[in-house]
Amino acid sequence: MADLASNSPNAAPRPGSLAAGSDRLRKRRRAELRLKIYGLSAIGIAAAALIALLSTVVFQAGGALFSTYFDKEIQLDTEFLGVTASSDPDVIRRADFDALIERGLEERFPLATGRQERRELHDLVSGGANFELAEHVAANPDLLGQSINFPLIGSDTLDLYKQGAYGQLDRQPINGLLSVSEREDGSLDISSSANDFSEALRQVKAQLYVDADRLRRQASRQENAIRVYGERAEAAETDEERSEHLADQDLARERRDALIAEAEGLEARANGAGGAEEADDENVSLLIKAGGGWMRLTEVNRADGTGEMLTQVDLPIEDSEAWSFHILAMPEGNRPFSDHQIAWAETLDEAGLIERVFNTRFFTAADSRAPELAGIWGAVVGSFWTMIVTFSLAFPVGVLGAIYLQEFAPRNRFTDFIEVNINNLAAVPSIVFGLLGLAVFLSFFGMPRSAPLVGGIVLALMTLPTIIIASRAALRAVPPSIREAALGVGASKVQAVFHHVLPLAMPGILTGTIIGMAAALGETAPLLLIGMVAFIVEVPSGIMDNATVLPVQVFRWSDFPERAFEAKTAAAICVLLTFLVVMNALAIFLRKRFERRW
Amino acid sequence: MRLIERAVDMDDIKISARDVQVYYGDNHAIKDVRVDIEDKTVTAFIGPSGCGKSTFLRCLNRMNDTIEVCRVEGDIRLDGEDINDRRVDPVQLRAKVGMVFQKPNPFPKSIYDNVAYGPKIHGMAGNKAELDEIVEKALRRGAIWDEVKDRLDAPGTGLSGGQQQRLCIARAVATEPEVLLMDEPCSALDPIATAQVEELIDELRQNYCVVIVTHSMQQAARVSQKTAFFHLGDLVEYDETGKIFTNPQDERTESYITGRIG
Repeated sequence: MADLASNSPNAAPRPGSLAAGSDRLRKRRRAELRLKIYGLSAIGIAAAALIALLSTVVFQAGGALFSTYFDKEIQLDTEFLGVTASSDPDVIRRADFDALIERGLEERFPLATGRQERRELHDLVSGGANFELAEHVAANPDLLGQSINFPLIGSDTLDLYKQGAYGQLDRQPINGLLSVSEREDGSLDISSSANDFSEALRQVKAQLYVDADRLRRQASRQENAIRVYGERAEAAETDEERSEHLADQDLARERRDALIAEAEGLEARANGAGGAEEADDENVSLLIKAGGGWMRLTEVNRADGTGEMLTQVDLPIEDSEAWSFHILAMPEGNRPFSDHQIAWAETLDEAGLIERVFNTRFFTAADSRAPELAGIWGAVVGSFWTMIVTFSLAFPVGVLGAIYLQEFAPRNRFTDFIEVNINNLAAVPSIVFGLLGLAVFLSFFGMPRSAPLVGGIVLALMTLPTIIIASRAALRAVPPSIREAALGVGASKVQAVFHHVLPLAMPGILTGTIIGMAAALGETAPLLLIGMVAFIVEVPSGIMDNATVLPVQVFRWSDFPERAFEAKTAAAICVLLTFLVVMNALAIFLRKRFERRW
Repeated sequence: MRLIERAVDMDDIKISARDVQVYYGDNHAIKDVRVDIEDKTVTAFIGPSGCGKSTFLRCLNRMNDTIEVCRVEGDIRLDGEDINDRRVDPVQLRAKVGMVFQKPNPFPKSIYDNVAYGPKIHGMAGNKAELDEIVEKALRRGAIWDEVKDRLDAPGTGLSGGQQQRLCIARAVATEPEVLLMDEPCSALDPIATAQVEELIDELRQNYCVVIVTHSMQQAARVSQKTAFFHLGDLVEYDETGKIFTNPQDERTESYITGRIG
């Protein structure tokens, strides 16, 4: 009974009991817990970073998945082109299809007469579309004289607009009836029977506050100038100097007052309930669709305004309820896609002439200056040839080197020296290998620039240490009992190595090789130095052709100013990552599948 | 029975070693060993750990060549031929002097390939049928045929420890050696497997000169006809097994077998 009592929770544990906690023990437990938390948070941070990186890249790459095409009917006018079905294909190819496409668009939108507008109209279609059309016609000369449906690829800005990169046309609620009539000066008098433009006016006026702010900032600079001139005037030694400074101060004061007055004027306009405001290309775009065409407001009041036609509108419009009003928040001056182009694109889209299709071109075409024409295939093939060269050099040399060093070489200072240097070689920055390639292979041996051959050799040199180190580790992991067993039955050393040790080490060697190759696949710096950064529009057909590789393509595209290349860059990164993941998965598979236990 | 056998065996010296010295770098591991090993006999090397018995065994088929720092001096003759002669290829020697190791070390291949490997690289079989015959004969000699004949394609590493060791013995005898060296062949086995291997060793005596290194004096007493006692690199005593265990001449031998040293 006494024992039972001592086991009750209230009783103090006897001295030295295991149940008694000590401070030391608690401290140790806390230290363990802390370590666990540190570890978990480190993993958490790493995982979050990875997820953030991957999701950003994949999200951005989405823009490169689709491209925009015009499915417009094209009249292949033999007279206009100056060729016939019996012409030489080369002559057909040189015919002015560009002008044909341009003419087709101008016939569709006759209002585009000015130089600027015609250029904008033409910019809807990619610069590469006419070449594709020419190729198609040259291959099928019988089509000349006919009217064909050939998908013309749209420009990158059109594609970005369709993607919503410049924002969406925000359709406004309308209550009133629209009337439009032409004034004498050619501008349009637009009015609604309700205050349908008040929201637009508010947004235009919001810009006034921005302008007023800017003026006030300028005014405060003048304020500063007034203070400085005042100080100088006080410190001046002669009357002449003082009066000079005071004159400057007065001038600054005048400027300040003017700026503030202007700002106040703008603010008063902005605060006022009505009043027509000008909507220029710094403001939101105000687009009206009515009478079978598009107009935009250049001056807006709550219920009326002045406008201009973007596409042909049937005038006059009297109290029509068939109209819509759209606001595009991004000002025209901030985007490379004008209000006119929006109106044309919307018109064509409504007619069902614009389609968005999966961008197969990206996976089949080589590089191009035009984002809509650029593809990754050239770089993929370039990487393939480069990797072929790298593998066929680095693998045999690396594995044989590793076998010699691990199985046959005597242990002496010379082999120690070699071993140290192989490890050092693995730590050499990759760009140094690029310099080596430039100095030795290009300058001294005169090998071709930009060729996968040179890139492959340089990457092979870079990969060699990795392969040797991994292969030696794999050979070392084969138990010596296997070698003894082979030698014991009378196999020679070479037989023991090639019949027994090497097959057992192969999974490890292959794993190391694939990891090394994956590193080489992602390598950029040395290839920049040997000229693989060149702009190559042909898919390379061998190791002597000019080529570029995936990571260099990413580097190049990220450097291009066109916004559409952002998505291309991200998509190229996705392709590169896919290859790397596949290679690493293969390495893991080989290791799991062929690993042996003893 | 035993006495008669021994009398016959006495005339037939298979291996004779004279003044054998082995150095590991600066370490003098074997000193002045002279020994005559008889054919159709099991000779046991006993002694405490590190006394050089395994090292000496490995001299007999020049396995020490594979250890870089190891240097062997002296005269070792197999059937009167100097095995350290420059004209002797160690590969040929090892085909003639087979070896079984302490830990069973089958190749990670099929049972069949394990046994067939030696005959294959020595060109002993002209065709598949001959090779099959050699493999079967070797496995029978290794006393493992009945256990594996239905699964020759199974991996050799999948067998039990005792079976693996008998497979290694079969692999060693497949190349038709004249001498069989065994380096503590039972140290990694349980008593039942040990008994099987010991029985096998006794059978092998019919055809081969067997040299066995063992830590277990009982095992030496059970399987061997002659015993050599090594101590600190010296061959202390070499005589008939019965004599060593009942009437040792040297004090150190007596101390070892009675358990006072070692």
